[in-house]
Amino acid sequence: MKKSIKVALAGNPNVGKTTLLNQAAKTKLKIGNWAGVTVEKKEGFLEYKGFNIHFIDLPGIYTLEPVSEDEWIAYHFIAKENPDIIVNVVETANAERDLLLTTELLEFEKPMVIALNMSDEAGKQGIVVDIKRMSKLLNIPVVKTNGRSGEGVNGLLDTILETFINEYKPKPPTYGSSIEQVLEKIKTQKFNNGINKYDLLKWLCDGYSVNGEVAELEQASKKKIKNIIHDERYAFAHVFHSKVFKQKSSFKRDLTDRIDRIILHPFLGFFIFLGVMFLLFKISFDFSTPLMNWIEGFINSFLSPLILLLLSKLGAGIWIQHFFSQAIIGGVGFVITFLPLVAMIFLLLALLEMSGYMPRTAFIMDRFMHKLGLHGKSMIPLLLGFGCNVPAVMATRSMENKRDKFLVMAMIPFMSCPARLVVFSFFAFLFFSHPAVVIFGLYLLGIVVGLLTALVLRKTVYRGELSHFVMELPPYRLPRIRTVLQITWVQVKSFLHKAGTVIFAASIVIWLLLNIPVHLNNQSDSAAAWIGKAITPILQPIGIHDWRISTSLIPAFLARETVLSSMGTIYSVETPQKGTEFHFMPALEKQVKGFGEATKNAFISLLTPEIQTLQLDEGDQNLRRVIRSSLPPASALSFMIFLLLYNSCLATVTVMAKEGGKKFALLFLAYSFAIAWGVAFIVYQAGSLI
Amino acid sequence: MRVTKSHFKNMFNPGAIMPDTLAKIISTKTLNDLKVGDAGYIVDFFNESEAIKKMEAMGLRRGRNVSVLQKQGRGIILKVNNSRIVITSDVAGDIEIK
Repeated sequence: MKKSIKVALAGNPNVGKTTLLNQAAKTKLKIGNWAGVTVEKKEGFLEYKGFNIHFIDLPGIYTLEPVSEDEWIAYHFIAKENPDIIVNVVETANAERDLLLTTELLEFEKPMVIALNMSDEAGKQGIVVDIKRMSKLLNIPVVKTNGRSGEGVNGLLDTILETFINEYKPKPPTYGSSIEQVLEKIKTQKFNNGINKYDLLKWLCDGYSVNGEVAELEQASKKKIKNIIHDERYAFAHVFHSKVFKQKSSFKRDLTDRIDRIILHPFLGFFIFLGVMFLLFKISFDFSTPLMNWIEGFINSFLSPLILLLLSKLGAGIWIQHFFSQAIIGGVGFVITFLPLVAMIFLLLALLEMSGYMPRTAFIMDRFMHKLGLHGKSMIPLLLGFGCNVPAVMATRSMENKRDKFLVMAMIPFMSCPARLVVFSFFAFLFFSHPAVVIFGLYLLGIVVGLLTALVLRKTVYRGELSHFVMELPPYRLPRIRTVLQITWVQVKSFLHKAGTVIFAASIVIWLLLNIPVHLNNQSDSAAAWIGKAITPILQPIGIHDWRISTSLIPAFLARETVLSSMGTIYSVETPQKGTEFHFMPALEKQVKGFGEATKNAFISLLTPEIQTLQLDEGDQNLRRVIRSSLPPASALSFMIFLLLYNSCLATVTVMAKEGGKKFALLFLAYSFAIAWGVAFIVYQAGSLI
Repeated sequence: MRVTKSHFKNMFNPGAIMPDTLAKIISTKTLNDLKVGDAGYIVDFFNESEAIKKMEAMGLRRGRNVSVLQKQGRGIILKVNNSRIVITSDVAGDIEIK
């Protein structure tokens, strides 16, 4: 059997631990250019030269004195779970800061390797490292790595094996002579040499002593023992840094500082932020619209007739053909149409994260958020919420204060995610002449409700002074196209996976319910209709009278996109199929040409300054026409509002329960239902009057 | 240390804070006194709060040179070595600068 090695990747936030792991173990874990991307331990496995290497990527920490939850996770793993090897990832250009953690890690006296990462950036800044000396002083291997390019990663793997085989243990750091004497004495007398330096220091910090040594030390230095140890560690890191690292060129304002002068400008900064948000929406809408049109056409005028043709040639019964065209094309295919939109949003959010702009929004917006009793730092989870609420809720782990964490968690579900956008873009374009304005309004409504929720909570449940914040701003980095595409692909895959599992299953169930009892003449007598009608009384006051819409809302609790797939299924059962002639070659040719045209239009759309309305081509519009005729615009609007505000996403509720407790998640669910219903009611009643 | 009302009250309260101590307090510069573009070095911290501890771990330590890159509302961006750190003015008021 192969030997397995448990390797913990530990280091300060945003030094590239996950990027290194992605390179080493070919994992595709989420990365970004800001502190706190990794908030739980992630894993990667690799077979290398006859060994099974099990990597554990820990959340970034500055010190082993944890405050926030993600820091606790990292601390707990290192201190309690006994990894075989610690790989301490150090950002070369910020080594002096990073060496504090290194000092603490050395105290564990465990086999350890130091990876000097981002060595290319440091080189550009004129930083020179005496690696040999560093390795000799600490008695452990030190390797240069560059996670972005993958340089030095194989060297790191070889070094890990070598360290494992030879059990290279570090020389623990040596502190001032008075404290060292005390440590030596206690170590031999009390613990019979069976304790590492970290645990011994912790024992002292906890107030233990053999013969009052701690009191003596405290008296001599007029400092508490915790602070004595604290200062000794800093001193060690500082002296060690000055011995090994040299900066050649003199300090100059670098590119990041120059960019920040504009981007973080007290006035300009805010408008740039608005501009960035506008571009985010403009590009995702305009770029994806032509492609969405194309996919819709491809599915309805090519794929569907082709498969139906094949099915009938194979002699498949009418039921199978119905099932295919109604449940699969009508349901799943309908949702897949929106793939370009979803992909574009994820791509642009990834760009924001990778460039280093994301944490800067915390600084820019703190001025406003502060007035509302919120932390600027909460901007990061909120922005992530526009991508997906689930990781956004997870990201609240890096908040230092429990109260801030809960406040932000109660806001995140109101940030509209692409799943909702998919539904909005369909309805808004169907019912309104300015769909972009409607969608923008819905996003805004979500933000306003989120802010009001926070405001009310601040005045009632989560009172108290707003805590200060301390955070790091990373340097700007040019995002690597490959990495951005990779991150986007992971998200797109999960969207497709959802389409293939939850949405597919929901479509089948709905389709079956629509056909129970069998041989129905009228779908409004089916089981699906019966269920929908049963909940209609709750939804009637907000303008949803139609059982077809209320039935669609039930599976939407699994994932909001299923509203569309379910409606797609229901309506396509009702819509008679047109029997059209299908000829493979000309149809294929048309699709290929159409794709070229769509791509061209997608790029051209980027050149216009305003958001072009989401005008989908009038092609196979049966479904759209039927839906439009069954719902007045006021109902459509109230339906969208309901879907926006009600936390109807099983994944979000689950992660909220995990992070904030079941009670919190359920209370929030009830609250979001009430607020969604209330706002939808007002809008519908007002809309009906007009 | 921030000068609070109680310092002035105590001036007339013999045995409490002495005028020379007060003078020292007033002449003490904190990070909040630095303007954008100014630089200084950290002399001491006035307390051991969690924020201060975290800041120290992030590299803002005694004896370190810092410069102020940007100020906005309660936020201050500092440059220390090669990193940029945002702190809020309530924390900055607890950092003595020269």
